[in-house]
Amino acid sequence: MYYPFFIVYLIAGFAVTLWAFWWALRNGQFKDQQRARFLPLDEQGEQPAVTVTRLNRYQSYLLLAFAGSGLLALAAAVVYILVTGG
Amino acid sequence: MATTTNALPQIHRTARGFCITSAVWFVIGTLVGLTTAIEFIAPDLLGNISWLVLGRIRPVHTNIVIFGFVTAGLLSVSFYMVPSLLRTELYSEKLGMITVLLWNIAVAAAGITLAMGYTQGREYAELIWPLDLVVVLLFGLICFNLFMTVKQRKEPLLYVSVWYVLAAVILSAITYCIGNVIWVPGSGALAGMPDAIILWFYGHNVLGLLLTPLAVAVAYYVIPSASRTPLYSHTLSLVGFWSLLVMYSHIGTHHLLQTPAPTWLKVVSIVGSIGMIIPVMVVLINLWYTAKGKLGQIQADVGAKFVLAGSVIYLFTCIQGPAHSLPVVQRITHFSNWVVAHAHMGVLGFAGFIALGGMYYILPKITGKPIFSKSLAELQYWLVLIGMSGFMIGLTMSGLIQGHGWRSGETVYRLLPQLHHYNIFRGAMGVLIVSSALIFLYNIIRTIFFNPGGQASGVGKES
Repeated sequence: MYYPFFIVYLIAGFAVTLWAFWWALRNGQFKDQQRARFLPLDEQGEQPAVTVTRLNRYQSYLLLAFAGSGLLALAAAVVYILVTGG
Repeated sequence: MATTTNALPQIHRTARGFCITSAVWFVIGTLVGLTTAIEFIAPDLLGNISWLVLGRIRPVHTNIVIFGFVTAGLLSVSFYMVPSLLRTELYSEKLGMITVLLWNIAVAAAGITLAMGYTQGREYAELIWPLDLVVVLLFGLICFNLFMTVKQRKEPLLYVSVWYVLAAVILSAITYCIGNVIWVPGSGALAGMPDAIILWFYGHNVLGLLLTPLAVAVAYYVIPSASRTPLYSHTLSLVGFWSLLVMYSHIGTHHLLQTPAPTWLKVVSIVGSIGMIIPVMVVLINLWYTAKGKLGQIQADVGAKFVLAGSVIYLFTCIQGPAHSLPVVQRITHFSNWVVAHAHMGVLGFAGFIALGGMYYILPKITGKPIFSKSLAELQYWLVLIGMSGFMIGLTMSGLIQGHGWRSGETVYRLLPQLHHYNIFRGAMGVLIVSSALIFLYNIIRTIFFNPGGQASGVGKES
């Protein structure tokens, strides 16, 4: 009999989530969303600008190619399974 | 600007502690993984040494990599990132250091007990009951420290990364208790199908409610920070956060589609798995739009570079995951190396990459010194990327051979020779990963303890 544990977990999870959401709403966590976007930047202070080399740009293209070929390979594998194993 | 001091700042001790922890267990965990891969190639090579048999070292590998390397690495970044985003200091560095110490004791004890054969025999939930209690205590300590940090914050707004970290630690504490059936100390298990269901509820949530939110939190911090661009949309990021909580918690039963689990639960798990595309795409669209036009800048920072690559592998993982939660796909992929590829993509490719990137990114900030060798870090990046891609390709192909072979009634012993060269390829890729782990450990140790080379610019300051 596992249902009681799941039900306790679901109720507890639901209660905690509702409480967190209610707290966030009351504390204005959803209000100043424009300022929130900048929070990771504020601590940086006087850091000098990073030098971007040609190699860095090539590596970006390489990563894009990796992403594209990976997606194609995955799609091909799933289609192959659907065709041969369905 | 250049000072020649080897002294470390008094703050960020917990972040440094978890960083060293992660680096050490990365080496040990991947070495054990390589041993496992070698046993697939040459099963008799190590003889019958009891603590080295596959059934024992496989859970040693998974537990050490998940808890010792990846979780510890992500916690290292979290213990720097959360106070920093809240413009305060960590509530208690002392408590943090106690957590680091206990964390290491727990991971070491897990490795030793599993190698000695003390196990509860449930995948990803193998640890014996006393260690389960220690893990829950540890999550409790982390929750307390981070929540008290939130309480004393000077920044009223909680950035999305803070939400993700808090959710990860509190949900993992609860999920660990339930998934490990902590109220049954003897076996740590229920009986029959209920146990399988509760186990996979936990097993999948280790990735979904521990590693995923921690890794996403780190990515949401590093990408805007490294590209010096505000996050594309904070509102969108919060939509992703709340939808992850709704979608992820009940999808574990998709591991049990061929079993007599209740049909409604299977349907819930499949729908949830497909629905996961929403929070995943929200995260990736937000991160990539933030990085748009700044890719060169991100590639110029070795930490951010790891994180961006991790986000790409997150896309692969989360397209593959919903696809193979469908029964029609699972007929081929289930119980095969396809799933092993998926697990490596999730834990090493996504969460591991982001953990490594996050640690490299914060290293100058928590030590006040530049990374000892950026070239070594770059070399490590390529080793892990090539190794990871090799795992993805080799294991996926091997899984397709296994799945099709078994589906057409082929016997296991006739299939094994066909898998042999894929296993050799897997071992070769493992060598690359172990090499990268050794480089990482060396770079971390040199940066923290033996790097009087100068003050990192604009970093290492008090929050």
